[in-house]
Amino acid sequence: MNLVERAVSNGGKLAPLAIPQGLTSGTGLMNPSVFIDDDGDILVNLRHVNYTLYHSENQQKFPSRWGPLSYLHPEKDQRLITENYLCRLNTDLEMTDYARVEMLDLHTPIWEFVGLEDARLVQWEGQYYLIGVRRDTTTNGVGRMEYTRIKINKDEWSIKETNRVRIPAPNDNSSYCEKNWYPVLDMPYHFIKWTMPTELVKADPNEPKIEQIFVKETPPAPADQRGGSQVVRWGSMYIAITHEVNLFKNYLQQKDGIYRHRLVLWDEQFNFVGLSKEFAFLDGRIEFAVGAAVFEGDLLISWGFQDNAAFVLRTPKIVVEELIKEALAYEN
Amino acid sequence: MKINEIIERLSKDPFNPELNFEAALEYESTGQSASAVSFYLRAAEYGYDTHQTIAYTSLLKVANCFENQNDRKHTVSNCILQAIAYLPERQEGYFLLSRFHERNGDWQECYTFAQVGLSKRASIPAHLPADVQYPGRFGLLYEKAISGWWLGRAKESEDLFKDLLCQIISDEYRLSIEDNLRRIGAPI
Repeated sequence: MNLVERAVSNGGKLAPLAIPQGLTSGTGLMNPSVFIDDDGDILVNLRHVNYTLYHSENQQKFPSRWGPLSYLHPEKDQRLITENYLCRLNTDLEMTDYARVEMLDLHTPIWEFVGLEDARLVQWEGQYYLIGVRRDTTTNGVGRMEYTRIKINKDEWSIKETNRVRIPAPNDNSSYCEKNWYPVLDMPYHFIKWTMPTELVKADPNEPKIEQIFVKETPPAPADQRGGSQVVRWGSMYIAITHEVNLFKNYLQQKDGIYRHRLVLWDEQFNFVGLSKEFAFLDGRIEFAVGAAVFEGDLLISWGFQDNAAFVLRTPKIVVEELIKEALAYEN
Repeated sequence: MKINEIIERLSKDPFNPELNFEAALEYESTGQSASAVSFYLRAAEYGYDTHQTIAYTSLLKVANCFENQNDRKHTVSNCILQAIAYLPERQEGYFLLSRFHERNGDWQECYTFAQVGLSKRASIPAHLPADVQYPGRFGLLYEKAISGWWLGRAKESEDLFKDLLCQIISDEYRLSIEDNLRRIGAPI
């Protein structure tokens, strides 16, 4: 049973997220990151891309000209461009406000992946941050997590980037791509950089400095567990949604992949406690969750379907507790 | 039915071609063509063996979605070609491919696919579950007439246009035909 069915059949709710086609030309709206701020507003960062993901499933009778999984950007522009929209939802999870995040003009992008990708939304010490990966600052696409500090004018509903910091990798900064770090909501500037083993880092929001706090041993992972939603407090524990991906090629050497998610559980000292069984949201092969927030005792999980559609799922407490029970039984 | 209700139903039966098709139609109706593409493709893939008209319609709908996004010509034509290969006896795909080539000024391709489509008239296929912008057989004749003129078949083209004016066709096509006849200096 997929998580949407599980949640809805237990009283949960699914909320599709969309902004008008006139702003997007109809291309992908994806990987939303939900967050509840100090005012109690339900905010979502919604990623808009200039491509449409084409993915053929099942027997793959109808692949694209370039294979079963293709990023269909304009044919005269090979760039995969991301822009971000910050949205506000009411308590029924209906979108009431949206606006494009106006980014600072700090450099000319020099790689095909343009913009801040899969940004997680947080509010630390009163400041809002979008924290995602940017790969457009080098000619070979080196990816680093970046802080984009934003100012939200809630009266006009306008959003502007006010500062940007590129976060180096801890210790050796020579890695090619750092992405999908999970921000820990109640520990400002801390991220789970890696799940199993659990690596906690602290990144300065004002200058490119980072500190590795610890790496803690865990049981072996069933597959690499990558971020992920924000890390949220659940009672005396921390929980987050991970993702794992099986990337492979067909006999024609064309790219394909399957993504699945799990709930990971840590204690207050970030000792690994458990990992749920894998789940899908809608049984699509490509889905991706980058947001979680506790709301009236339930868990809001925001996720993208095939890079083309975005949703928030209100997941009832009872379902979260079932996932936690699964996680506690984790053995590998 | 709202999209959230459709998706919630879909969650209980996620590989159901009809529900995926319904979700795609709803997304397309609001201009969310990328979202529509995802669900049309699932309708086509999971309906391949059991829901032929849904799968065929979905492929043509995907082509229309990409056409609306502009500058994805190879994908547009590929989707139509897949639909034709899947149900080659139907006319709709040939019309869309012929029109695609007309819009790109590929006159021989436009003419050829219109002619192939016209050759399929013997069958009376089941109605499609949604509009794919196929106006009917006269659309193929129109494409043949348009492209024929550019291929040096002026007389054939003029005759086809005049025949079409005697048929029951939409106002949009009638006005276009009258305009074309005026342009080539033919009496209406």
